[in-house]
Amino acid sequence: MKRIATVCLALCMAAALSAGPTLAQDSIKVGIILPLTGGQAAFGEIEKNSFELALEEINAGGGVNGKRLYFIFEDDTGKPEVARSAAEKLITKDKVVMLGGGYGSSETFAIAGVAQQNEMPFLVNTGSADKITEQNWNYVFRLNPAVSEYPSALESFLTEVVKPKTAAILFEDSNFGSGGSKTFQETCNRLGIKVLLNEGYSKGGVDFKPLLVKVKQANPDLVYMISYIMDASLLMSQSRELRLSPKVFVGGAAGFTLPEFPKNAGKASEMVYSATLWYQTLPYPGAMAYYDKYVKKFNKDTEYHGAEAYAAAFVIADALKRTKSLTPKDVRDSLAATDMMTVFGPVKFISYDKKTNQNKLPTYLVQWIDGKLELVWPRNVATKPFVFPIDWEKTWK
Amino acid sequence: MEILVQTLVSGVLIGGIYALIGIGMTLIMGVMKIINLAHGQLMMVAMYITFVLFEYFGLDPYFSLLVSMPALFLLGIFLQKYLLNPLLKVDSILPENQVLMTVGIGMVLTEIIRFIFRSDYRSVKTAYSATALYIGPISLNFPMVVAFGIALLLTAALFFFLLKTDLGKSVRATAQNADAAMIMGINAHWITVLTYGLGSGLVAAAGTLLLPIYYLFPDIGGPFTLKAFVITMLGGMGSTIGAILGGVVLGVAESLGATYISMALKDAVGLVIFLLVLIFLPGGLKTLTKV
Repeated sequence: MKRIATVCLALCMAAALSAGPTLAQDSIKVGIILPLTGGQAAFGEIEKNSFELALEEINAGGGVNGKRLYFIFEDDTGKPEVARSAAEKLITKDKVVMLGGGYGSSETFAIAGVAQQNEMPFLVNTGSADKITEQNWNYVFRLNPAVSEYPSALESFLTEVVKPKTAAILFEDSNFGSGGSKTFQETCNRLGIKVLLNEGYSKGGVDFKPLLVKVKQANPDLVYMISYIMDASLLMSQSRELRLSPKVFVGGAAGFTLPEFPKNAGKASEMVYSATLWYQTLPYPGAMAYYDKYVKKFNKDTEYHGAEAYAAAFVIADALKRTKSLTPKDVRDSLAATDMMTVFGPVKFISYDKKTNQNKLPTYLVQWIDGKLELVWPRNVATKPFVFPIDWEKTWK
Repeated sequence: MEILVQTLVSGVLIGGIYALIGIGMTLIMGVMKIINLAHGQLMMVAMYITFVLFEYFGLDPYFSLLVSMPALFLLGIFLQKYLLNPLLKVDSILPENQVLMTVGIGMVLTEIIRFIFRSDYRSVKTAYSATALYIGPISLNFPMVVAFGIALLLTAALFFFLLKTDLGKSVRATAQNADAAMIMGINAHWITVLTYGLGSGLVAAAGTLLLPIYYLFPDIGGPFTLKAFVITMLGGMGSTIGAILGGVVLGVAESLGATYISMALKDAVGLVIFLLVLIFLPGGLKTLTKV
């Protein structure tokens, strides 16, 4: 009996502690869900830092019509079911006025479902599986392009420069990876590139050689990979070991643009191309300033994920400034009327094809040249001319 | 043919490291009859020790085995003596509360490491990290071969210890029947402490050997705890020979699955083998041997 009493007491105390601090009346709370622990925590951290950086600036500039803006961060740990309960908690317990964040596609899809069901506006800034904005969910908005649009810059580069005849596609078997591989397969079909191999892998592998040996056997002109950072590094360094040498290696954003990529893959990262959504030298107002501020404050590099989060914070603040009232419906309407410029490019939510409330943006191609990520395509914004053809033996020596 | 050989070679090499991970858990399982669910996390701690030694003192990962193994041995001893053994004396709401404690230890280790090192991915890139040996068209990753060799040596040393020394015999006696061992004058309490230390030391070696090939972040422990669990079950709980077989079988099965079925189903292949063994060979692979 005594033991049961102790357990009850402990539970009560835990409940009391988790209730957390109450916020002042004249503040607006927005819930942000990101992977802060788990395998994708490195990205979650970049995004959280960027959200906080933007928040400081927003509140220093008078907040939202004089009210202070608060971001309540919840951790989805990289699991859809945790993301779902985090969204439910933010809506019912914290009574936020809207949701933001959403990193992994599977988690974002789960959050979006909860948001729509509860009629709670949700601004996605990273989760990029196409289906997230293809459900006719009118409370779900997306700032970043869908994964099927990632290779649009690549497409012109391939037809004008590389002219490959055959390709191999390797992808992480998540929503993000399989969605991306499907659309790239379609792109290849359209461009008349024969896809010799299209295979998924589960992330976190130690040894990718069985997969890469098959690619080597097929000997394609182009190897396209959709991977997160550490898989990307291992794929490239093991390709180097096997002397797998197609005309070009191309990464579909995500892992291939992170500063950790050359650190981990070493020489094997050289000359690898990647699609990307953003680069700090792009002619968007504040892009370079954001990059400098981030590097100065956190002493670390940032990349497109951070820019997405930073831009999202300003879009959220802008929508809340313009809204008639803080009811979810008014916030939704105000978000739908967004038309502004951010460090990530212009933001305006439109409906096209099967998508609703989707922001449309151009994409770019970058290449690792001498350990630095250079914007190489389209030509008019390039920071350095692209290197092609590539002598792998020399690059990898 | 070339593909098959490359696949088998990759599988056996990774299997050697898997075996090393599995043996530690098996030892603990054998003596204490509990699954150590902090096993992968202990490996993660060893990997961070190796990382720090390399990054700040420039110590080669293979030399840091001499630091990481004793360090984890001591950590293991501490955990068993002050966190796990005291639980035996307390009557609890739930049975098997030592297992629950290992889960807690795993979480605490992960969060402490996250607090110190943050969630960033780390890796140790040595001059030889990406070097490969070529036998005809087959490529062998050099650090992987070294890791396999050291894993073999450590396993041999462990067998020598278990079969030829008094202390090792005491460990085996306690594993077979703790009560009888105690009657024969073996200090079973001390043996559990020693075993947990040994298990931690072995998995530390696996972590250190894996680091030049793989990478590191605070949450890396979980998947390896699962691998160790599968290997322990495959081998027939508590059998060291079984764990070695289990490790190699798992490595080869994953590799073959990746090549001939799909890399996406690599883990599924391992788990299917696991289920088949449980159904058709309930005692695990050790029943195939006479040891």
